[in-house]
Order: sequence, then structure tokens, then C-alpha cells
Amino acid sequence: MARVGVFVCFCGANIADFVDVPAVVEEVKKIREVKYAVYYKYMCSDPGQQIIKDAIAQYRLTSVVVAACSPRMHEKTFRRAVSEAGLNPYLLEIANIREHSSWVHQKNKKAATEKAGDLIRMAVAKSIANEQLHEISVPVTKRALVIGGGIAGIQAALDIADAHIPVVLVERSPSIGGRMAQLDETFPTLDCSQCILTPKMVDVASHPYIELIPYSEVIGLEGYVGNYKAKIKKKASYVNFSLCTGCGACTQKCPVKVPNEFNMGIDKRKAIYTPFPQAVPNKPVIDAEHCNMLLKGKCGICSKVCEKGAIDYTMKDEVIEREIGAVVVATGYDLWDPKPYEEYGVGRFKDVITSLEFERMVSASGPTGGLPIRPSDGKVPKTVVFIKCIGSRDEAKGIEYCSKICCMYTAKHAILLHHKVHDSRAYVFYMDVRAAGKGYEEFVKRAQVETGTTYLRGRVSKIYKMGDKLMVRGEDAQLGQVVEIEADMVVLATAIIPYKTNPALARLLGISYDKYGYLSEAHPKLRPVETAKAGIFLAGCTQAPKDIPDTVAQASACAAKVCGIFSGDALKKDPMISVVNPDYCSGCQNCVQVCPYQAITTEEIPITRGSKETRTVAKINEGVCQGCGSCAAVCRSMAISLKGFTDSQIINEIVSI
Amino acid sequence: MNYTKQIQDIASKLFTEGKIDIFIGYQQNSFDDNQVPVLITDPAEIPKLVFSDKSVFNLTNYLKFEHTKNKRVGLVVKGCDSRSLNLLLTEKQVKRENLYVIGVCCEGVTDDNGAKAKNCEVCVMPDPVVYDEILGNPSGKKPYRVDPDVAEVAKMPLVERADYFEEIFQNCIRCNACRHSCPLCYCSKCCIDQETSTLYNGSNTVSSAVHALLTWSMHLAGRCVDCRNCEKACPSHLPLHLLHKQNEKVIFENFQEHLSGMIADDRGAFYKYNQKDPDDFIM
Repeated sequence: MARVGVFVCFCGANIADFVDVPAVVEEVKKIREVKYAVYYKYMCSDPGQQIIKDAIAQYRLTSVVVAACSPRMHEKTFRRAVSEAGLNPYLLEIANIREHSSWVHQKNKKAATEKAGDLIRMAVAKSIANEQLHEISVPVTKRALVIGGGIAGIQAALDIADAHIPVVLVERSPSIGGRMAQLDETFPTLDCSQCILTPKMVDVASHPYIELIPYSEVIGLEGYVGNYKAKIKKKASYVNFSLCTGCGACTQKCPVKVPNEFNMGIDKRKAIYTPFPQAVPNKPVIDAEHCNMLLKGKCGICSKVCEKGAIDYTMKDEVIEREIGAVVVATGYDLWDPKPYEEYGVGRFKDVITSLEFERMVSASGPTGGLPIRPSDGKVPKTVVFIKCIGSRDEAKGIEYCSKICCMYTAKHAILLHHKVHDSRAYVFYMDVRAAGKGYEEFVKRAQVETGTTYLRGRVSKIYKMGDKLMVRGEDAQLGQVVEIEADMVVLATAIIPYKTNPALARLLGISYDKYGYLSEAHPKLRPVETAKAGIFLAGCTQAPKDIPDTVAQASACAAKVCGIFSGDALKKDPMISVVNPDYCSGCQNCVQVCPYQAITTEEIPITRGSKETRTVAKINEGVCQGCGSCAAVCRSMAISLKGFTDSQIINEIVSI
Repeated sequence: MNYTKQIQDIASKLFTEGKIDIFIGYQQNSFDDNQVPVLITDPAEIPKLVFSDKSVFNLTNYLKFEHTKNKRVGLVVKGCDSRSLNLLLTEKQVKRENLYVIGVCCEGVTDDNGAKAKNCEVCVMPDPVVYDEILGNPSGKKPYRVDPDVAEVAKMPLVERADYFEEIFQNCIRCNACRHSCPLCYCSKCCIDQETSTLYNGSNTVSSAVHALLTWSMHLAGRCVDCRNCEKACPSHLPLHLLHKQNEKVIFENFQEHLSGMIADDRGAFYKYNQKDPDDFIM
């Protein structure tokens, strides 16, 4: 016979003001199995927990119902209390009479009281069928995988490796560094981006705990937290990195010229190339799409000039496997293509450029040696118009969200322009100036005051050509009149978008993504770096637009989470997962189809004991199962049940009201 | 529609070539002009085999029993039967390599009284969708039509409809012949037999029948191929197709015109996610 104790919380006034708690307790006492029922002002407080512990001993309770707030708040607290009193922690049930009753029915105390009674009755009925469950222990492979070698990936890898945990850092391009390597100076302090980034890149290359795998992609991930197996495709670089000294003779002699993507196509690179001078690893790769030797079988100059014989045209893509315990996804961002802005002459006027093109121009290591020039005639522009929110906050042509960093980098560009061309004049067309951040507002002020940049609130309606000038016609909404500016160059602050490959990556990793393609965090406020899949974390712009400080902070947070997982030799896992009764399983594999975590596989079992003939039944991997219950819902023969939410528990709940 | 000769020839060829252990077909009933299924393991019995518009039963039902499991089986399927075979293959209940399927392009079967069977009136696929050998000329997929009986019942006022169904459920004697005769009811332990709650007490009451039959129809929703083996087996002559055809209608209208078993590896609307699936029932 079940002996249930019911503990009803006032939650100060949160519950007591809208639910007649003493009346509910009297009502609950009438239930046959309830041997003890009591109310208290704060059940979660130490004295409140003590009441539960004492009652378990005094009334020999077999299960406990706490009627209070959402189980997301204090389920752990009460489980601990119950377990300290010697009861299995999973014999506790929470009736959520705050979020589900008092808060939502504030205008009707009578109904709220009745509903609270019903919720408690259901919890009591369910708790009678509760079974003792025990935490699952899962072994851990202490090695982390970081996908993406931008500043987010670099920071996460360094922080994890500094905790003496091996890291596998996979980067898709030939060098780590990512977007930050393309930047000139960084807001709001104007320190040189490469000067602060390259020491970290060198640290990655020389760190004893980091295995850097450049020019590679993750193509598969199996397993579960603590026990993942990653498949990594090493793209053929046609250069034997162990022989190559990075002397650069091959890149000098290569006859093929290709637009340089690192410099946004402003200049050319060779078919065998290192993306930029400070690249890590500083070894060239052959671009198979443009190499004459690989395409036509003629040339071979790089092989001839290479003293070490490091060039190998027969190299093939290679797939390697690594066993890892946790993953940090830091794949970064792409830029929105401003083509839909036809009225700004995108594609027609050479002097309408994007912000990252401008960034490369003002960079000392860039294609113009740090001087902004007009792509049309190579002259130095004197009047430059910056237009913000190109694609961002534009439901008609672009995306709805704010790209967050454009206000700041446009202010930076205005300042940089002034530094490079002293007699220049900058105009900024803006919708709002969003400068929330340490030193950010001051930085925008500095652009406006020190460099005399004119900020015009309004949108540009049209850009047209007059002679070699660009006429920018827009609205100054504060004056309420149309302005026309004769510009030498126009810079469009294009929006941040996620890489198009993000959804495919998300599916491969088994995590979710939003409607734009950003990878989704588990909770926007309280679990911002975790994904819904245990052991996979997000850093940087793969989750949402971010500036460098936020990205670095999130990457370090990921590292802390990864170190947390690896802090013990085994992982404790919630036992509320699915279980298969093989006797009833008919092997239709509907569960395999619907499982969002690939936690279900099949196994062959003998038809009868000792029989050689076998039949196929479902098998649940305890480490992967998250207890969502989809499999239990589609199982027609009820061979699968979800521990803690068995059919008998749910039916008990339904029947009780 | 008479393929007796062809089917006998194919069956004897399969036995002489040693391709099959069992052949499932139809034989003449001994007391009237109807036909019953027959399982042949001895080639000498091949002359028993017949096929005509009286070959009404869905033979794929016999693939779920012990004596055909893991054996090499030859069988005859019509359009609707082949759709249930497709589902059995998808749900891994039979192995394709164990089967030799003779698909018949069905011209419609008759009921006990010699009239065209009611399910053939609303048939969407008379041609076999899975077969090794095909008999007859394919006539192609037919447009989906709502079952006239379902439309009739939908016209009834709510109270009248409730009474109508209560009467149907009252006549159910809980013999489970419907379940036994359904090719897609292959579970080793039916969920109804596991039920221990107060909602279902296993006895011969209306509430038990409602619980059992509605659960059964939900487990067949998006899977039922309208072969009506269940109705033929029902000793109380319950119009069970009302449940299945209603589900079929709802699924056809809401889940991208889904029809069960038409293509391979299609588990049905309830077991796969499509972005176009309706979600207006979620608050």
C-alpha cells in the first residue's frame, strides 16, 4: 500500500494569494493513499525541506508529492532532500501549482484552488506508480573536438587545452584565423586585429594538447556525450606538410592567378597558395579547381621548384576518425550578398563596395597596402558614404534581425578612413546607432566628434553616377528633407548571416537550428552555450551575430562546460529514459525512424532461449537517449516505455480526475 | 478476371525450380461458390489453385504467422494487397528476398451476393505496386474519393451519430477476429492485451469495445489499405471500414494527400515529419 506525503508551498504570496492552500490540503487529506499533508510558507527553504525529511521518517512515506513551482526550478532541490531522508529521489513528484495554476488564474481564486487540487491529485496518482530509478553512469573519452578555427574556435581550444585536455581543432580552410584575421583594427580600442590574434594562432600550433587539422571538414558524428566518434575528411592539399618548410618558392613561381578570397577578390592569389602571410600552419595548399597540373596534367612548376619534394599531385582526400567526448561548434558567419539592392548600383558601380572589402583595403597587409582606393580608377577617395543596415533589419530584401556589429564597425571605418586619408570626409546613413557595450558609445562619439563624420538618420533611396562621382540620394529624417551627397566611394555595411552549410552541419551533429540557419542554444538565457544535445556547445557567430568580446567570452564559457564534463571519469545521467521490452517488440523500427537523437538501433535476439533462429528488436543506447518519449508514443505494441512516465503512471493521472 | 491457369503454371514452375517452400493462393470453397485461402507446400496440390473475382481475401495476412516466417513464399496479390505488402516490407516484417510475388491487375472483386465489392468502388490503386511477375493490364492510379458510407455518417447529427456508433460497438463481441485477419496487426503482444487500466477491463462491454476498436483504428491510421479482411472476418458484420476510411480521409486531407503503402519505405503520416504537416491543433 502506497503511503504518500503531500507538501504544499505558499511560495510567499505567489501561490497563497490566489489558491486557498489550507483548503487544498484538507481536500488532499481525503485521498486514501495520502498519509500526511501539510503546507508551509517556503517549502524550498531549509526548514521546509526539513519538514519533508521528518515526515518521510515519521510516516514511513513511500512517495512524496511537493506542490509548488515548476519542476524546472526546484525538482533537484527536493530530490536531494528526499534522497537525504533515505528515499529514492525518483519517488518524488512535483505538482506545479504556481505556473500552472496560481499565476495563470489570478482573477479566479475558486477555480485556481480547484485546479491546484486536481494537479495534486494527479501527482499523487502518478507517484503511486513511481518506480525507484538510479542514475546512469557513462564513461567519458577526455578529448574535445572544436569545429572551426576562427577566434571562437581558437579561444575554446586554448582554454580547454590549458586544462590539460586534448583538443582536436578542425578548420575548413588552409589556415586558422577565420574572419578576425581579415580585420584591420578592432573596435572600440583600435588595436590591430592580427597583432592580438596571431599570438593565439601560434599558441594553437605549438600547444602540446592541441591537434590542429587544417583544410578538413567534419563529415560524421556518432555516439553520445562523453563517447562521440567524429569522422573528419582531410581535403587533399597536394602538399606534404611534414616535408614542406613553407619557403614560398612554389607560390612565387605558380603561373595561375585566381581571385583572392581572403582579400574579398580585390587582388589575385596563385593556384598554390597560403591564404595570408601569418597563416597557421604556414604551408601552402593547391587549389584543385584551378591548378593546371591537376586539371590538364600540364605545368608541374611547383613540383620542380620545391627543393624538399613536398608536392604530391596524387594525394587523395582522406577520412580519419577521432574519439572524443565533447564538441564545440564555432563555424562563424558569412556575409549577406547585397545584390538585391539594385538601386544602390551593387554590381554595376565598381565604387560601391562592401564593408569587408573596405576592411581589407585599410588593412596594412591588404591588397592596397592599407590605403583605401577606388576600384574603378585607383584614386584615393575623399568623400565616402557609409550605409548601414544593408540586409539587416530589412524584412523586404534581407533578414529581420539586427547584425549587431555594423554600427560599431562603421564607426571604426569612419575613424580609419580619417587616419588613412586626412582630408577625407565620411557620411554615415543610419537607422539607429546601437552602441551598447563597454566603451562603445564613447567610440561612436569619437567618430562623430574627432573625425567629423556626419551621421545622417535615414535611408538612401538611390545611388547614380555623375561623371566619375557617385551621387547618393537619401533622406535626412531629422531635417525632414532629401539630401544628395557627391561621393567618391560608397561602403555598404552588409548583414551577418550564418553559413549555408549550417543546417547540414546541424543535422549531422543532431542539433537544432533556427529559421535563419543559426544553430540553436538550449535556452536563450540560462543555457546560452549548450545545445539541446548533451556534450555539444556553441561559440561565436554560428549561434547569433556577435562581436569579438562576446565571441571570446562564449568560447571560454564553452571551454568551462567541456572541462565540467571531463572533470570526472564517468558522467552521471538522468535515468528517465526509454526502455525496450524485447518480448513485446515486433521489430517494425518505427522508433528508429522517429528518434531525434539516433539513440535507437536494432539487435538480433534468439526467438526462444537457445534457439539459433533470431528476430530483430529495438535497442536503446542509454547514453544517447534524452527521454523525449517519441519512441514510446509510436510503439504500437507498447514494447517501449519511458521510465518516470510509464503508461500506468499517465493513465493513473488521467483516471484520478 | 480469371488467372487460374497462369497462377497454376507459375506456382508449378516455382516449385520445380526450387524457388519457394510455400505458395499462398485461393481455392474453391467446398460448400458454395466462394473461395478461401490455401497454403500449398506440396506441388501435387497445385490444381487446387484458382483465381477469379471471388478471390477476395488479402493473402499478405498469412505472412505474419510462424509457419511462413523465414520461409520462401510465393503468393498472389491484388492492388490493395500489394500495398499492405509494401508496408510489411517497410516495417521489416518480411524479407523481400524470401518472397515471389505474383501481382494481379485487379478488375474488382465481388461480395458474397455477386455484386461488386464496396471497397472496389473507392479503390485508388487496382494495380500491384510490388511484384515479381504481373498478370493483366495495368489501368493506373485512380483519383481518391471519400467513401460514400463515411460521407453518409458525417451527415448525421452528432447525437444520432453517437447512437449509431454505440449500437455498432454494442454488437462487438471482442473476439479479435478483425485483429487476427488484418495483415498489419502483427505485434507479438497486442497493446490491448497488455492493458490493465480501469479504462479497459477486457470484458464484453461497450466501453471496452470502444477502447479496443478505436485504439486499433488509430494504430492502423495512415496504414490501412482498405482490403477489408477485418469486415469479412467479423462475425457480427460490423462496418469497421467506417473507422478506417474516416482516418484515411483526415490523413489524405491534412498530410499531403498521403495514401498508405503506395511507395516503398513509406511508413505513413504518423511516423515521419514533414515541414508542411499541419500544426494548427497545437495551441
